[in-house]
Amino acid sequence: MTLDWSIVPASAGALAHGALITIALTVLTMAVAVPCGIVVALLRESRFKPIAFLATCFVELFRNLPIILVVYWAFYVMPVVLDLSFSPFVTGLVALCLNNTAYNSETFRSGIRSIRKGQTEAALAMGMSEGQAFRKIVLPQAWRRVLPVLATTWVTLFKDTSLVSVIAVGDLAHTAMQIRSQSFRVIEMLTAMAAIYWLLGYPQAKLADWIHKKFGVTE
Amino acid sequence: MTIATAPQTAATVLQYRDVQKLYGDFVALQGVSMEVKKQQVVCLIGPSGSGKSTLLRCTNALETIDGGEILFDGVRLPKDRTAIRKVRQRMGMVFQNFELFPHKTAIENVIMGPSTVLGLSDEASRDRAEALLKKVGLADKAKNYPANLSGGQQQRVAIARALAMEPEVMLFDEPTSALDPETIGEVLNVMKALADDGMTMIVVTHEMTFARRVADHVVVFERGEIIEQGPPKQIFEAPTTARTRDFLGHLGWDG
Amino acid sequence: MDFNFGPVIESWRFLADGVRITVLLSLSVAACSLTFGTLVALARRYGPKWLQAILIFYIDSMRAIPVLVVLVWFYFAFPIATGINLPPFLSALVALSFNLTAYVAEIVRAGMESVRPGQVRAGLALGMSTPQIVRKIVLPQAFVRMMPALGNVLTLTVKDTAIAAVIAVPELMRRADAIAGQTYTPVEVFSTVMLLYFCIIFPITRGVDIVYKRISFLGRS
Ligand SMILES: Nc1ncnc2c1ncn2[C@@H]1O[C@H](COP(=O)(O)OP(=O)(O)OP(=O)(O)O)[C@@H](O)[C@H]1O
Ligand SMILES: [Mg+2]
Repeated sequence: MTLDWSIVPASAGALAHGALITIALTVLTMAVAVPCGIVVALLRESRFKPIAFLATCFVELFRNLPIILVVYWAFYVMPVVLDLSFSPFVTGLVALCLNNTAYNSETFRSGIRSIRKGQTEAALAMGMSEGQAFRKIVLPQAWRRVLPVLATTWVTLFKDTSLVSVIAVGDLAHTAMQIRSQSFRVIEMLTAMAAIYWLLGYPQAKLADWIHKKFGVTE
Repeated sequence: MTIATAPQTAATVLQYRDVQKLYGDFVALQGVSMEVKKQQVVCLIGPSGSGKSTLLRCTNALETIDGGEILFDGVRLPKDRTAIRKVRQRMGMVFQNFELFPHKTAIENVIMGPSTVLGLSDEASRDRAEALLKKVGLADKAKNYPANLSGGQQQRVAIARALAMEPEVMLFDEPTSALDPETIGEVLNVMKALADDGMTMIVVTHEMTFARRVADHVVVFERGEIIEQGPPKQIFEAPTTARTRDFLGHLGWDG
Repeated sequence: MDFNFGPVIESWRFLADGVRITVLLSLSVAACSLTFGTLVALARRYGPKWLQAILIFYIDSMRAIPVLVVLVWFYFAFPIATGINLPPFLSALVALSFNLTAYVAEIVRAGMESVRPGQVRAGLALGMSTPQIVRKIVLPQAFVRMMPALGNVLTLTVKDTAIAAVIAVPELMRRADAIAGQTYTPVEVFSTVMLLYFCIIFPITRGVDIVYKRISFLGRS
């Protein structure tokens, strides 16, 4: 067995492009899934029961499915149902957003729930309106609980973007595997792929740890 | 022979000579010298942070000391791990927060020591545990998990657990401080009964009535030092130092 | 829009066998990760310094690299590098366990750290040795406290086995893809399989919740 690592620098451009798409997917998904997560969390607390129920169904469904299946489903089913065709990138993005919106809404919901009722009551007793009490008392406290979880979700999402490679989105995983099958430099390309993910993911994981230490609330 | 006269003639179980303990630069114990005789009840009192718990933890080598020596049965506390374990097996310890094992029922908690450490058979350790639970008045709660016991009951199980090792000396670290007022009495009664049976005991406590009625010897700590020691009558009725008087005064104790 | 569930219904045996393999793979991976994760956590806490350093590196790396990448590497690169050829199922078992062991190790470590030091002191005061204390006091309580997190890992395991479709393990996801491709009914097939996965994973999530509520007191000291 001879190894020829020159394939890696030779494909640097393509790999960098793939990495860029991976990062773009992560950032865009989070940019959509955080606000959507908040909305879904609020809908779940809605006083109008059918809406709360639908929101709950949405969350429970997507929390309890493999992402790769959601990706396939978005790829095959969405165009038929909506009668529209999407690029693989958009399809992948939608799948990741559906999944992460569900996760984030749980994060926000439990963050808000973790603030004791007494805190809201104390604020109301001071004469604040319900909105004020939520904005000024509940949100700032909930934030400390939400942020570390979001950081962990971010790292998970970064890794999960690799799953959209199955529908030929040109992300890092897909690009590396394409080059592998064209060049037959299997060990080199797959190891390079792992190394690039490591280089990108390791600092993110460490950052998430730091956020947990700095903001995490320990009971 | 009455209990009051027994301690004077009996052998020394624990001897502390000029014990020093440091946490970094902080002096937790300084020049502590005292003696515990067989069947004696010694109460340690003093303000919070004065080093009482530290002395107990040093006594069964949960902490190592930085100066002086502690003799148990005339022998210096060993350094080597297995020897330390042997020493610990001869001392029972009761904690402020009970520290019952939450995943074990009351009786399983008591069995834990004899079966894992002494290697007693299941049957023998169960018999011993049942007898001890009966002794602390909890025979009917044997199958309860700690979560289903009141604080006072938990602490009595903890005492039974320590007794199951058939220790030569019992160390109590504020055994009633975490209890509701109405359950303190049941624990103190068990301890009093133990003392009457002739158990050698060191008790860190803020229960001055208990110290006064049950102790043979009272030691007052402040800032890691012993500021006064003697029989309870002397400490509570005629303290020789102003600081002891201060401390007792803060507790609202007026003799 | 016309739906045609005929192909799905006709191939129910084929799908059911996929469910069987998904469940089998999930259970095997979960058992391996739990065992090795506990060992790694113990070695990380009580092992020699050099081993601790290696294990920390391993754990952090698994947190940084996607499962897909580990899976593909073990299936395609590992046999060439070592000459050891594993069938897809075993490759998936090794790769997924390798990845999830790191997660379990982190959970076990956090669980052990969350057991109050007083509990260890109580064991020491009884004269127990450190291995005895770990086995009889720390780990049992830690496992109770870890249940929600371990339940998460179990659902994560089922989800991760779906990725094994990529290396041709004939589990549910792979079979769905096969039927969808042969019969041109992807909407029906993937929707059905979605329901199947939900029916596997949702009860785990709920079951763990219910059990934990009932036994959480065993870990509360
Ligand atoms: N592990 C430790 N590291 C550093 N300092 C410690 C440690 N344990 C105890 N101390 C310090 O040693 C001093 C004595 O503590 P100790 O627990 O013995 O006090 P105490 O007399 O038992 O008080 P209390 O009545 O509050 O239990 C305290 O000031 C405490 O802060
Ligand atoms: Mg203390």
